[in-house]
Amino acid sequence: MRLPRRVVPPMLAAGLALVAALNPTVPGTRELRDVLLVIDITRSMNVRDMDGRSRLEASRATMRDWVARQPCGTRVGLAIFTERRTLTLFTPVEICADFASLAGALEALDWRMAWEGDSMISKGLNHGLARAAELDAALVFVTDGHEAPPLPYSGPDAFRGESPGGIIVGVGGPMPSPIPKFDEDGREVGFYEASDVQHAPARRGPPPPDAASRPGFHPRNNPYGESDLEGSEHLSVLRASYLEQLAETRELGFVRLAEGPEAIDTALAGHASARNVDTPRSLGPLFGFLAFVAFLAGWLPRSRTWPLRKFPDGQRRPSATRPGIR
Amino acid sequence: MIGLDQPAVLFALPVAMVPFFRRWLRSSSVPRLDLRPHDGASRFVDRCLTLAGVIGLAALVLGLAGLHLRGGSVPHQGMGTNLVLLIDRSSSMDETFAGRAPSGDEESKSAAARRILLDFIAQRPDDRVGIAAFSTAPLEVLPLTQSQSAVEAAIAALDERGLSQTDVGRGLALAMGMMDDATVTGSRAVLLVSDGAGVIAPEVQEVLALLAAQQEVNLYWLYLRTEGAKSIFEAPAPGEPDDPRVRPERHLHLFLQRLGQPYRAFEADSPDAVAEAVEEIGKLEARPILTEHPVPRRDLAWLVYLLAALLAGFLALARWLERPFAPRAPLPPLVAS
Repeated sequence: MRLPRRVVPPMLAAGLALVAALNPTVPGTRELRDVLLVIDITRSMNVRDMDGRSRLEASRATMRDWVARQPCGTRVGLAIFTERRTLTLFTPVEICADFASLAGALEALDWRMAWEGDSMISKGLNHGLARAAELDAALVFVTDGHEAPPLPYSGPDAFRGESPGGIIVGVGGPMPSPIPKFDEDGREVGFYEASDVQHAPARRGPPPPDAASRPGFHPRNNPYGESDLEGSEHLSVLRASYLEQLAETRELGFVRLAEGPEAIDTALAGHASARNVDTPRSLGPLFGFLAFVAFLAGWLPRSRTWPLRKFPDGQRRPSATRPGIR
Repeated sequence: MIGLDQPAVLFALPVAMVPFFRRWLRSSSVPRLDLRPHDGASRFVDRCLTLAGVIGLAALVLGLAGLHLRGGSVPHQGMGTNLVLLIDRSSSMDETFAGRAPSGDEESKSAAARRILLDFIAQRPDDRVGIAAFSTAPLEVLPLTQSQSAVEAAIAALDERGLSQTDVGRGLALAMGMMDDATVTGSRAVLLVSDGAGVIAPEVQEVLALLAAQQEVNLYWLYLRTEGAKSIFEAPAPGEPDDPRVRPERHLHLFLQRLGQPYRAFEADSPDAVAEAVEEIGKLEARPILTEHPVPRRDLAWLVYLLAALLAGFLALARWLERPFAPRAPLPPLVAS
């Protein structure tokens, strides 16, 4: 039996809408990067040079926004860095199910959590890399690069082991700024003065090559000389070139926090291996749209009157223009 | 609550008005309007066809906009408590109950605590759990949450080597302070898990007394006693010194008793004893608590697509069954010649 042509669009629309209701999917994959997020909570992170916010506040806010941008299924763990190691607060959790916990814990990060005041970035970074490798995640290390006490002349510790990949996120401004100082009860009482901090590099490892020409040099009693006892370690600035150098030797990327979550995403994509997960793509909207077009095609053409049959003598009457039923 | 994935698609909704300006069925030519019978049923069917078109098009637009029921939460009355686990991260927790570095299949105190706490949390789905840790400084690890996966991740992270010292006083202050507004409906408890104590400074003692009275927290201390350490319940023999420097654990116990809040101490010197103590705490802390259960988002697009399919099927049927009003055009009028 032959279907009239006018029935085709609504039939097609019905069929397509039915297919859309069944919601067919095509297999697809999505790249997810699990991350151990380490945030530096040392004193220098209290410097307020991120548009009036402290470096720590800016880090918390930006990294929270960054986590919110990640696709569901991504797992993010949180750790803090101070002294010479990182401390994992929780192992990676799925961000969509546990976003509230993750955001709450990020918000609670505070310099007062630091169990010691040292800030040995290269050692902490190595510790964080080992920990991230253990947790099967990439490392995102947010720091200003301010080593306190200053590095010895031999330079930062080298990293031995398998780098899990990741990025260093540099936070801080380009101008040396004073570091807030707090009393025992956590009240702010001014800024660190030059006399409050150690300026000389740690007296470990080989002395600088020009030590013999420095004042106070003595081959046995004072092999480092005394020319480095003063400095500006009480001021803090984003040490981008130092962090870049650390990143390079550890197969990490470097990005500035101020560039925003998109830049962090791009940098991470270039320096961390991804985990491919199957994400079926829904074809429902496609079939829904086709059904909509077919449905509309059924309605849009002006409905014409029935064609008039021919009379026996072959003459044709003009068609009536008035509607018959209505 | 109803939500849309692509609200902008709703700008296409006026297209659903098209059926008001078009006829679905063909018209028939009749020579005279009064030849047409007045037929209520036909008119009704005609209106239905228009309506089916409007609703069908609108349903497809809604489906394309991604109609769904937003997820949320429903209140749930359960048995449990608002519990903050306050965990000692000092380096002595990495030793066994015998006070040695673990070797072979020996279990360190922190590993035993971790294993038993994971079991404990898994059995108590209605608890709202927060985690705090302390060493030299107190650390807020996880704000109070109902998410078991988050709590498990935080407990699993305790496998790292511990930190330096023990400042239990500030840790307790942090744990009590973590009880937020959401905890007013249930009971509140702090479970301190530690293998030692330190001297609590007088000013911290004051703060703690104030906080304990304000927050009405039930306190539990799970003391992981190392072999050879003195019991917290044991009064020193006459002549032995009895001050917080020599016996900090005993004096912490006395201080917590003085706080005037429900308090129990459990002394455990083996993993089994820890498990027993945790079970006991579980029994004590089963009180009515008002929590929330998450409700997942539910897709409604399939429903509107199905509706559109049915309406389109109805319209197709109408066109298939349509017949002309008159089988053929009227004959030409007879004219007398």
